[in-house]
Amino acid sequence: MIDAEPVISVEGLSVSYRQGAGFLRVVEDVSFAVAPGEVFGLVGESGCGKSTIALQMLGYRPPAMRTDAGAIKFEGRDLLDLDRAGLDRVRGARIAFVPQNPTTALNPGIRVGDQIDEILAAHGAGDSRVRVARTLDLFGLVGLPAKLDFLRRYPHQLSGGQQQRVCIAMALACDPAFVVLDEPTTGLDVTTQEQIVALLIDLRARLRMSMLYVTHDLGLLSQIADRVGVMYAGRMVEIAPTAELFTDPKHPYTRGLVGSIPRIEDRSGLPARPLRGLLQRHELPKGCPFAPRCDWATQECFEVRQELEPAGAAREVACWRWPEISVPPDARAVSQAPEIDHAETLLAIDNVSVIYGSGRNAFVALRDISLDIGKGETFALVGESGSGKSTLARAVAGLIAPAEGTIGLSGKPLTGLVRNRTPEERRLIQFVFQNPDASLNPRARIAKALSRPLEFFFGRSSEANVQAALADVRLDGKYAARFPDELSGGERQRVAIARGLVAEPSLLLCDEILSALDVSVQASILALLQRLKIERGIAMLFISHDLAVVRMLADRVCVLFRGDIMEIGRRDEVFSAPFHPYTHSLLEAVPTPLKPHPQRGASVEAAGTPSATGCAYAGRCAWQIGEICETERPPWRETGEGLRIRCHHSLEELTRRATWPNEPPTDTQDRRAMQ
Amino acid sequence: MSAETLSAPPGRSTSRWTSLPSLWRQTPLSFRIGLIVLVIHLLVAVTGPFWAPYGFSQMGTGRPLSGMSRVHPFGVDQLGRDIFSRVVHGSHIVILLSLSGTFLGLVVGAVLGLFSGYVGGWIDEIIQRFLEALISIPFLVLALIAIAAAGPELSGNPVLIVLVVALVYAPRIARMARSVAVDIATRDHVTVARLRGESAWSVMRRELLPNATSVLLVEFALRAGYAPVLIGSLGFLGFGLRPPTPEWGLMISENRALIIVTPITVLGPGLALASLVVGLNLFTEGLARILGRTVKLGVQ
Repeated sequence: MIDAEPVISVEGLSVSYRQGAGFLRVVEDVSFAVAPGEVFGLVGESGCGKSTIALQMLGYRPPAMRTDAGAIKFEGRDLLDLDRAGLDRVRGARIAFVPQNPTTALNPGIRVGDQIDEILAAHGAGDSRVRVARTLDLFGLVGLPAKLDFLRRYPHQLSGGQQQRVCIAMALACDPAFVVLDEPTTGLDVTTQEQIVALLIDLRARLRMSMLYVTHDLGLLSQIADRVGVMYAGRMVEIAPTAELFTDPKHPYTRGLVGSIPRIEDRSGLPARPLRGLLQRHELPKGCPFAPRCDWATQECFEVRQELEPAGAAREVACWRWPEISVPPDARAVSQAPEIDHAETLLAIDNVSVIYGSGRNAFVALRDISLDIGKGETFALVGESGSGKSTLARAVAGLIAPAEGTIGLSGKPLTGLVRNRTPEERRLIQFVFQNPDASLNPRARIAKALSRPLEFFFGRSSEANVQAALADVRLDGKYAARFPDELSGGERQRVAIARGLVAEPSLLLCDEILSALDVSVQASILALLQRLKIERGIAMLFISHDLAVVRMLADRVCVLFRGDIMEIGRRDEVFSAPFHPYTHSLLEAVPTPLKPHPQRGASVEAAGTPSATGCAYAGRCAWQIGEICETERPPWRETGEGLRIRCHHSLEELTRRATWPNEPPTDTQDRRAMQ
Repeated sequence: MSAETLSAPPGRSTSRWTSLPSLWRQTPLSFRIGLIVLVIHLLVAVTGPFWAPYGFSQMGTGRPLSGMSRVHPFGVDQLGRDIFSRVVHGSHIVILLSLSGTFLGLVVGAVLGLFSGYVGGWIDEIIQRFLEALISIPFLVLALIAIAAAGPELSGNPVLIVLVVALVYAPRIARMARSVAVDIATRDHVTVARLRGESAWSVMRRELLPNATSVLLVEFALRAGYAPVLIGSLGFLGFGLRPPTPEWGLMISENRALIIVTPITVLGPGLALASLVVGLNLFTEGLARILGRTVKLGVQ
């Protein structure tokens, strides 16, 4: 399909952004083409210029952006030469855009139907009756209810997944030849993400449109992209067909990226060869931009510019040493931490319920939760958004008082709210938040952020303590004098972890602490946590929706759904049959490199309301038995190994139904034949 | 995995304040003009008493009501006092009272606002309703009520003027501070401090105040810009300082009967007052732009 005349081609594009008095080159001489019906994935860490290219392909030119060279050829014209009126005719009609965050992309004050109608009207798609019919068609196409009253809804009345479907419908409104998708699933949880990806795959097959899929999630691209372009520091370093990119990455950076993906099937622990260091734009050498982080770099790499050159059929790589380094790199892996036999219980949660609001508006966030965490144990809480994972962490921390039940630390019961706890109790439980941007005071230097807990809890703090705290999270001592906005997201998260550690806690609550970070940064923080776990013996309550991460780090896993425990047990038991139906669906939804595409059409999100008496998962369960699931709370099913599953099905039945893991084909030849 | 330490890339804080002239060129024009006007006023206030041609209550310096002349640029009043000298002598009084009154209002308002916004709940409700009640009274009326309540023996006392200015401004500043506090209080770094068990006072000082400084700075400059008008108005109405203090509003009041005969005796002090207020406002507007905020300037 690459031989065909491309739909759109980017030729030698260079783009700069205004920075202070000068300009900073963010995209440097990038060329690629997208064939009809092809999905081209563009991947790289934040700041590599991938979104800039996406914006340029839409002809979007913010005032601070300057196009230095190049052309974007689309339907015989150069998009960069078009004036405003010309762009207006192309955009929305021939080239469309699906944004990252549907919540902010949709106008909250306009009904969703009207927002699509606007586009149709702007591109002259007939009178209002024709347009409404078209809108209904589009909603059907993207798996939304094609009903008139649905068109009259406002964006806030839709779920995140439904909003993104509206955005996709909007992009498809005028049958574009080319669609740009900028991280369209990044803000969504795993199950919704899977549904959106399945929808896009389905749409591509039905409509034969070309797409540019921009993301930092390489695992996701394996499901949807035909070819992938890997960008680093504004340059394209490798272009390859998707399957080959994953099995045989040629550029050292691509190898690092592929190696950084936590794989759920991978049972050997940490990724074989994670990337080291960070992209630092101010210290790029004049040769290969990746040279400072490259394990194979020689002196010449720092001086000689690397250009894309052919490397096998339909592949290009910008590294002159690729034939030499194509041997698999030596594994630097650390084996998975040994499972800890938790003889002693640290945190005991007994029959805890948390209720938000009161009276008729009362919402049960957690229903009758009992679990315990041992000393030094890493306990993972898994579930989609709204499952109550964060609520449990907040209850343990004392930010919300449980309505019922008790939480005990080392055998002593804790009072509900943090202000009633003793300083010692507060010191022993430390919280690390999801978003490192908000968890550090922007007006306090790093040294102050780290020394305050020391002063508070131990009444003393010195420069040496701060330096030691930074060294613990592998940060240079010079960071102490910095303000948070001078740090990258990953560095800030390290500081946030260090702030928790200086209090010498026995339990660290980690609430989605990796989800705001790039995959390569995630891998390094994960390695840090792994090491802390072994060296310090701190227990962790690790909340995550990323099952691959959980599998690497956790000793025990608890799967939550709508405030109820579905399954709880040791890691290896949770990740192998028998599964709770919900765990099974979560595992199947994980985007993993080279997992066969989910063979599903566009499905409407099931929107069952949980019944107060029955199983929380009833209504969404694929293995539902019948009425009993709605009316009766399922019993605990226990295996001999301590795995507990809450389901009406027997364990034998659950084992029989399990189809996961879908082992990918092991032979590269087979996979090529599949394509 | 190799235990790799991240080395610190060069930060930008080291190079932030390199060259003063280039920094000056980057400031908005309004900031520059405002700053120049302010510096002139401050110089006059500080050095004025040493070079003013006559004393502030020296009588018989010239023929009363003789109008503008080279010796008496702002004319001479009924008692033969040189208006220009009086304006110069009064400068430091006006500036000192304005700044100290506003500053007191800022301190009280910031503490009240940050506390109210951080603590929330019914305490916040009570404080807010109380402040709203104060704000709903026009500021001059509020000032007059306060002076009347203080009684005749305190009338004309500079300390009372400072307290009145603070009373008028504190509720308005408190509302600004509260809105900032409500925003910041939900951020995770404040939650971290709460989880640590920090007292409300400590959270306010360490987490809220540093993040509210730019708002408070602009608020201070904005209020200080109108304080001379308030003090002048009180003086004009006879509730401010007592004669023969060379307070500008008082002087305008004393000479207002002569506005037909020698307009300059009123225009002189008026010009001084106006240039100070305009200077402060331009400065504030520029400052706000530097700090990335927009303020609505206008009569409060």
